[in-house]
Amino acid sequence: MGQTSRRYSVCLKFPTLTDLMRIRKGILGSGCGGTGGKSEGSATRNEGVETMWGRLTGAMRVLPRQPVALWNGAGMRAMSSFAKKPKVVSVTGAAGAIGYSLVIRIASGEMLGKDQPVILKLIETEPGMKPLKGVMMELQDCAFPLLHGLHGTADLEEGFGDAEHCVLVGARPRGPGMERKDLMTANAAIFETQGKAINKAAAKGVSVLVVGNPANTNSLVLAANAPDVDSSKVMAMMRLDQNRAMGQIAEKTGCLVSDVEKVVIWGNHSNNQYPDIHHATVKGESAMKVINDEAWMKETFIPRVQKRGAEIISARGASSAASAASSAIDHFRDYVYGTGDMWHSIAIPSKGEYNTTPGLWFSLPRKCLGDGKMELVEGLTFNAFGEEMMKKVEKELIEERDAVKHLLP
Amino acid sequence: MDGMDIGSKGVVRVVVTGAAGQIGYSLVPLIAGGKMLGPGVKVELRLVEIPPAMGALEGVKMELEDCAFPLLDKVVCTSDAAEAFVDVDICILVGAFPRKAGMERKDLLAKNAAIFKAQGEALNSVASPNVKVVVVGNPANTNALILSTFAPNVPKSNITALTRLDHNRLKAMVALKLDKNVTYVDGAVIWGNHSATQFPDVLNCKVDGISDPIREAVGGEAYLRDELIPKIQKRGAAIIAARGLSSAMSAANAICDHMNDWLHGTGDKYVSMAVFADGSYGISEGIVYSMPVRTMKGGSYEIVQGLTVDAFSQEYMKATEAELRAEREDALSIL
Repeated sequence: MGQTSRRYSVCLKFPTLTDLMRIRKGILGSGCGGTGGKSEGSATRNEGVETMWGRLTGAMRVLPRQPVALWNGAGMRAMSSFAKKPKVVSVTGAAGAIGYSLVIRIASGEMLGKDQPVILKLIETEPGMKPLKGVMMELQDCAFPLLHGLHGTADLEEGFGDAEHCVLVGARPRGPGMERKDLMTANAAIFETQGKAINKAAAKGVSVLVVGNPANTNSLVLAANAPDVDSSKVMAMMRLDQNRAMGQIAEKTGCLVSDVEKVVIWGNHSNNQYPDIHHATVKGESAMKVINDEAWMKETFIPRVQKRGAEIISARGASSAASAASSAIDHFRDYVYGTGDMWHSIAIPSKGEYNTTPGLWFSLPRKCLGDGKMELVEGLTFNAFGEEMMKKVEKELIEERDAVKHLLP
Repeated sequence: MDGMDIGSKGVVRVVVTGAAGQIGYSLVPLIAGGKMLGPGVKVELRLVEIPPAMGALEGVKMELEDCAFPLLDKVVCTSDAAEAFVDVDICILVGAFPRKAGMERKDLLAKNAAIFKAQGEALNSVASPNVKVVVVGNPANTNALILSTFAPNVPKSNITALTRLDHNRLKAMVALKLDKNVTYVDGAVIWGNHSATQFPDVLNCKVDGISDPIREAVGGEAYLRDELIPKIQKRGAAIIAARGLSSAMSAANAICDHMNDWLHGTGDKYVSMAVFADGSYGISEGIVYSMPVRTMKGGSYEIVQGLTVDAFSQEYMKATEAELRAEREDALSIL
């Protein structure tokens, strides 16, 4: 394709480019290791797609270094909208700060791809319905071709109806005087009702990303109340911590984030998470060797990633909405499209891997193979420091689970 | 008119002023994520704020780092616009003096005239003449005019103001009324000032699958006069009433649309941009007036000629022109 390999790997993070690669392989049969032949999956798609494939390849021939055509407002959006059936995406806490940063990027196609129409179902509490209306007006004002439906509701079953993907942002924040235990039980109540509603109303095979804190234990409660939902599709979001850690390593080494790989966030999305760079690489080389500063890792890097949320609040005067939303987008995009050999830290119920207690939403490193299929990265080892960190965060997850145990069905 | 060949550039330098504000916060993740410039194009973000907001701006920078955007090469925070403008490729001027309670229009113009004069002078001395500017901070059209007055080295065609938000709103409203996907709505135009006198025009609209003239299809002149036009003109206030805050997200989206189309070309279609009037449609020079614009790959554009303008249109177009001429007089009398 005439681009550097680094640029290629950067581009692979975008579903549009991945699709383009697949198209090239299937149709043009040049440059990307594919052979000529029928476009992938064309037999299963409807007629309109043939025109789309043709026009896309036309664009590729005319503008080989400008796949930017897919972003062009005027022409390409028209053809990109309708090849696929719309997917329902439900978002709770949609009128809050994270929701505000999130919904625009879902509706524009960043989460599920430039050829995937979405129906957005936005869920709020009753007091949140008025600002939610404002958010919906703004979504309308964006004139997104991919937004094929938009609903706002305080009714959970209505909001989760036929949902294929759910992003659960809404949760009870810690109020003044609230103990951690109180936070656990208040949120357990919320995620119990949401679990039941999702179980009843959502589409079969629904995948759920829990963002609202305490995310890992909220996921546990939700899954316990949604017995018909595959609990391995209920995920507590760790991507924000992962992105934060990668950003820190990039800054420390003077590299780009795209040069940083295999950073792992073990455990809980909390101050006791274990951001681990013992397996990480920077431009292919061992990060630990490149940085060569164990004290920095233990005393600066780890606490900084753990407490980054508080650092942002301190600077902005408001919590990290944009980056949280961005991480949710990254999570689902990579979950749906796959990212080959890249490692992602994802919290789903443990089956005892890495000696963790089964049933805890303990974040472990995984490869995203596409369509929600994941493969655990196995065989990683820990030094004494790592073992200690793992034990500490597991203890926290057990305590959180025990705080809500009595509320589980 | 020389544009910028995005594909060949290493890193595109983008300035955003008012970056720690509401619109800025919605905008910068979109730019850093590739929505404005397209996939594969690296961006260097230069974020500008007034000194009291520099702490918050650092927080925005931290969040951008925390997003791990592959296309984000660098983030620079500064309160010195001149420093930020050096060799910049794209300028998004969101920062402006907000209207306070009891403020007269003249006062608002005066405060902003000072800001945009200073920024114009800075642009003039350090920016590349190929810099592409979109002015968002209100009063956008007149702020753009002032900026250009003090940046004679920058071709007038490289200085625009944002009416894309109004344009998107109009498209969406027509689509909703006719129960069609927005993709099928073409030919919407916003004429004039980004203010309550703007003229949202459907006379030249074509909607796939509808053969009747669109003015009639949506409900005729009465519907336009009593509902559609006022609704679009006052949409900003309606959002504030519902959200309690102004429309940041949709504005950020419109900024990306505006710039993306300007850089990559709109093909056969056209969009609305507030540009320097050149006599087209009876609007003589000297003001920045939103027009139907067709952009070409590489960054040049032309005002679309030959669209239908009738007496109904003229009434609105003249009214918004009058407002712009008055704003121009007020602004230039201060400076």
